[in-house]
Formats: sequence, structure tokens, C-alpha cells
Amino acid sequence: MMTQTDTLAPAIAERSFDPISKVGDEQAFRQEIRDWLAAVLPADWRQQWQKVREADLKGVMNWWLNERRKVGLATPHWPKEWGGPGLPFSYQIIVYEEFARGDAPELETFTISLFHTPATLFEHGTQDQKDRYLGGITHGTDVWCQGFSEPGAGSDLASLRTSAVRDGDDYVVNGQKIWSSASMHADYCLLLARTDPNGKRKHDGISYFIMDMKSPGVTVRPIRQITGESEFAEVFMDDVRIPAKNLIGAEGNGWNIAQSTLSTERGLLIFSATERIARAFELDGIEAKNTWMRDVGLRREYAGFYAEMQAVRLMVKRLLAELEANPDKASATLPTFIKLNWGPLLQRYGEFLVRAEGIEAQKWEPAIPGTGHSSRMRFNDFLKSYGWTIAGGSNEIMRNIVSERILNLPRG
Amino acid sequence: MSDEFDLDALAESFLEFLEGEWPKEKAIAYERSGQAYDAGLWAATAGLGWPALTAPEANGGLGLGTAAAAYLHAALGAAAAPAPLLGTLLATTIFGAAGAEGGHELLAAIAEGSLRVAVAEPGSAAVETDGKTVSGTVRNLLDAPGAGLFLLRASHAGRPGWLAIDTDAAGVSVARRALADTTRSLGDVTLDNVAIGEGRLIRPADPAALDDLLTRRACVALAADSLGGGEAVLRITIDYMKVREQFGRLIGSFQALKHRVADHHAALVGARELVLNAAALPDDAPDALLAALSTEAHVTALTADIARDCIQLHGGVGFTAEFSPHLYLKRAKLNEAL
Repeated sequence: MMTQTDTLAPAIAERSFDPISKVGDEQAFRQEIRDWLAAVLPADWRQQWQKVREADLKGVMNWWLNERRKVGLATPHWPKEWGGPGLPFSYQIIVYEEFARGDAPELETFTISLFHTPATLFEHGTQDQKDRYLGGITHGTDVWCQGFSEPGAGSDLASLRTSAVRDGDDYVVNGQKIWSSASMHADYCLLLARTDPNGKRKHDGISYFIMDMKSPGVTVRPIRQITGESEFAEVFMDDVRIPAKNLIGAEGNGWNIAQSTLSTERGLLIFSATERIARAFELDGIEAKNTWMRDVGLRREYAGFYAEMQAVRLMVKRLLAELEANPDKASATLPTFIKLNWGPLLQRYGEFLVRAEGIEAQKWEPAIPGTGHSSRMRFNDFLKSYGWTIAGGSNEIMRNIVSERILNLPRG
Repeated sequence: MSDEFDLDALAESFLEFLEGEWPKEKAIAYERSGQAYDAGLWAATAGLGWPALTAPEANGGLGLGTAAAAYLHAALGAAAAPAPLLGTLLATTIFGAAGAEGGHELLAAIAEGSLRVAVAEPGSAAVETDGKTVSGTVRNLLDAPGAGLFLLRASHAGRPGWLAIDTDAAGVSVARRALADTTRSLGDVTLDNVAIGEGRLIRPADPAALDDLLTRRACVALAADSLGGGEAVLRITIDYMKVREQFGRLIGSFQALKHRVADHHAALVGARELVLNAAALPDDAPDALLAALSTEAHVTALTADIARDCIQLHGGVGFTAEFSPHLYLKRAKLNEAL
């Protein structure tokens, strides 16, 4: 492991920080996170991380996860029973608000570990699975990935073909997964595979497994993206043996469990994304005050994005309020509407910035890990915005869902 | 402002009443009436106390604020109703402003709906007056042809204020200018040595603050009107897509069409959040004006675009005056221009 930890460590913090002890006083809690971020996060972390190559990525991500762990914020949204701090929802929101405001690195490598894995295991895992795997996230640096999409099953996920055949105490898995974020760094994979090819509907016969990425027969091949970086990989499984005790839930119930996995994307993850872009939007205008903001046409176009940005933030805030009131009664349609607004907005705004900044925006630089969709490198962010309109069910699928299931238009 | 009111129930009652009183057929037929407003509809809304909504309680009003007005205007937009209540909202705001002595006796008539008001745009040019008489021209005054009272921006001794002029006073004439949107009316007002009555020159304590408040309320009302109109015209279009067949299939089953209405619907869900947020902010919130202005700009443009596409989605019948989408397009374009 490289020594990013040492180079990134700022001058020894003058005091210790304990935001969790401030619970009960929102302002003090917020201030403590702010002070901690200011003390612990080097002002030039973006420049430093930009130099990080693929092999060293884990080092910097682990460093930041561990810094967060020192103040009890490694898994800020986890309840106590999962081994998290058990923060009230309003405090979880503050954490992610302050992470956005303070430009804390996004733990991209750990997205599945921090959100999807616990959401899946806590609802559907056995006690043994919870005991065995969650500790590796709360106390360690286990990276999880998700093996859902396949070359032939993207937006149409239910048509996946990776097979799992029972053989004694194991399942033998063969197939190929794609768009598996961080899988080249992963220790474990949340894997969907077909255990019964003769199901009545294509959603039937899918089962949900925990796959050890070090198992013989697992090959990972990173995908080079249009941005030049590799955040995803293809995962090939060639007679991989998965112990039957790694089955999550009942055999054939994988599709339903996958819905729990994906529902975790509907709250703090989207909130974090929109707040980060809102912050970047503000800075974009301020920093351009002597350049394109002097152009009346561009200034108007920029102002036009403000309302659209606000509309999405207000939708997300409503969703969070509903989740806080009762997660089971939160709107099932709002996340779809958010996605349909957010992706295209991000793409148009990204395109706008490229156009507004002229030749400067055309100059290529390496991506900065940990900056998500607000690296603020114009061309990079513009290209990356396609992630919001293609991933997680392409927007075309979203439009089918809205028109057929919500507006009740006839199926084609 | 009274907070005890159940705004959701109020919103429901606005919509329900207009659905019964101003159905699509009436809206389509009204287009050719040549009226500046519909007298029957106006009387009905007055009977329900709608003009009293934002008037102070001391003057027979309900004393409600911007949020209640937003729900009212969303319902008016949804029905494309020819009921000029925007002037009522702005007039009650002007008379209710701090330091705005005079004209209060007019408030009772405004609140009971016997007096319709056409109010000049905040920030527009003022007519000069010596305080006794006034002469001048105010162009493009919204709802002027059907009004009983004008509230015009005035300048007296270098100070800005508002002039309340009876539309039937000697020296007042109105030249109506036909609009593409027949649910509202427009006129050029000429004042020729018109006498200014007692207490009819209104001088707010802080004219700039009043302008901001008027702008904010007008923007919220127009955005709400557009939101209601956008939601209505999209609903009408989706209903049509569920019954219209071509090539042996319902046209609503074609992805090329259904994806467009899905996008419109998603955009309107966001627009509704903007309008509710802008309407719910307290008058003195630092971002109240910014929220109102940006919401108005966004939502009026959005609905104009959706209504434009709804004509296309209707195909040939969308080009006929017998179907309602054109009413919404015209109203949306006027909202966008105001």
C-alpha cells in the first residue's frame, strides 16, 4: 500500500473531534463536523488525489474511510444494530450536507459497501452472514461490488443469464457481469445468478449470493470509460464455487431482494449527489464572474439552471422528509421523477459549462478520484453525466415506467 | 395572515368548484364570446369569497397570504378560467402595505367582488401627478377592459406611489387590445385631466419593498397559473392518447409519444415543488423574491413548451379550436410574457 496516508495527513490536529457526542444539538453537531473537516482535510486534496493511479486508489480511499472512522462517521447512516452510530435521520442529513459543503472526498470505492451491502444483509441475510461480513465494513476496509448487469441484461436486468447450479454444498457459477463498480478492488460481490432457468416469468428463478472475489475462476477486467478512468469492470465467472451458506434469502427470491439493494440509492446517495452539484453550481457562477458571466446570453442560461437545480433539490428534500416520517410509506414514484429530471439537467448543465468556458474546457486532465460528478473539470463532468441517464435503469426505461405504470398509458 | 386554514382543503375546493362551473366545453365556447371576463363565473367566485382571500380581515377579507393565492391561481390556470383575480391579489397587497393610508374603503368592495381591479406592473413607468389631477397613458394594462378600478404607478413630488382611479371617472378611456389569450384582456388606458379623489393617492412607507412584494406575489400567482395549466393540458392530452387509435393501436402505446408525456409529467412534478416552495416562504424570507422570480421564469416557460407539444400530440384535432389545448398554449404564452 502506498504512503498516501502520510503525505495527506495535515499538521497534527490541535484537538480531538467527537461529533457523535454533540447529538441533541444540531448546530453544535454541524459545527463539530465543519471544524473536523477543516482540520483533517488538506486544502489541496484534489490536486494530490489527481496524481493517484489505479493501483493506489484503495490507499487514499482507505485513508479517508479511516479518518471518518476516528470520529465515528465511517458509516454515518447505519443504525446501532448494524454497528453504526445510530444517528437520527436529521443528523444523517447534516453529515451528508456538511460533507458536500466541506468538499469531503466521496468514498466511491465503498459505495456498495456502505449502502447496498447493509441494506441487503440486514433485511435478508442470516445472522451468520451479518456477523461475518458487516464487521469487515464497520471495522475494516472491505470493498464490495455488485454483480447485477450483464452484457445482455442492462436496463432489462431480469433477463440475466449467469447460471448457478447446485452441486453438493456449493453452487457452481458461470457467466459474465458488467458495469460492476469498483469490482477490480472488491473483496466480495453481491451476485445475482439464475438458479432455475425454467421460471414462469424471467424474474423467477433468480437467486442472490455473496461471492468471494478471490475465489478461483473469478476474472476481473476493468472497463476504460469515455472519461479515461476505470470505475467499472467486467467480472467473468468460470466454474466459480460459492458455498450454499452464501445464498442470501431463499433460492429463487433474488429479484425481490435486489429491490431492497437498489432502494438504498433512493435517499442519502441522491441527496449527497444533488447537494454537491448545488455547491459546485454556486462556485461555477462566482468563479466565472470575470469570464463567461460577463456574457449576457451565457449569464441568462446559467440563471435558468438555478430553478431546475432547485426543483430537483426540493424533490429530494421531500423524499427525505417522507423517508424520515415512514420509510415504508415514502413515495415510490418520486425517485423516478427525480432521476428523470436530474440526469438530463446534469447533462445539459455539463454541456453548458463546456461551451461557456470555451477552449479551456477542451484541455484534458486526469480525473480526480473521490470527486464524483463534481470534479469541476468540465469535459470530465459532462461526459460522466451520462452515468445518471444510462445507469440504474436508463432514462428511456424510466419513461416507460412513468407512462405505463404511473400515467396508465397502454403498453407498446 | 391566518395559519389555521387547511390550505389543501382550500385547494381542493377551488379545483372542484371550477371543474363543475367551468368545464372544458364552457372554456372552449367562451373563446369566441368577445368578453373581457365571464360575468357569471366572476359572480360565482365572488359568492364563494375568492376575491376576499387575501384582503385584510378588518375589511371583510380572509387575510390569507401568498400560499393560499398560489392554490387559487393554480386552479384558475387549470380551468383556463376568465376570472381576473390577479388584480385582486395585487390590489389587496397595495392597500395592505404599511403606510398605505387611503383607499381602504375600496377594499370592502374588492373583497366582496363588486370591484375588479387592473393593477400596473410593479416597476413599470409611473404617471406624473400634482396630487389633484392626472394626465397620461398607461399601455398594455392587464385586465383593464373589465375593471372598475385602476391602480396605476404614480409619481408625486418626486415620490413614488400608486393612484386609484375609477374606470368610469371623467377623462378616463380604455382602448381594448385583443389578445391571443382570450381568457384575459388587455387595454391602453388614457387619462385626460382626471381628478384624483380623496385618499386615492397611496403612498406606501417603503415603495421599493412594496414593489418587491408585488413582484413576488405576481410571480408566484403566474407560476401557479402556469403550473395548473400545464398539469391540466397534459392530463387532457394523456386522456386523448388513451382513446385515439391509429394503425389499429392506441396512440398512447407509441413510445415516441409516451416518452414525451413522461418527461413533461416528471418536469411538472419538479415545477410543483418550486411553486409550493416559492409560495410557502414568508414574505420577509431573504430568498422569497429570488425563489419567486426564478420559479416564474422556469414554470411559465416549461408550461408554454408542454402546451406547445400537447397541440402536436393531439395531431389534427389539436389544430382545431374545438379542442382545448390551444387555450392552454395561449394562456401559457401570455403568462410567459407577463
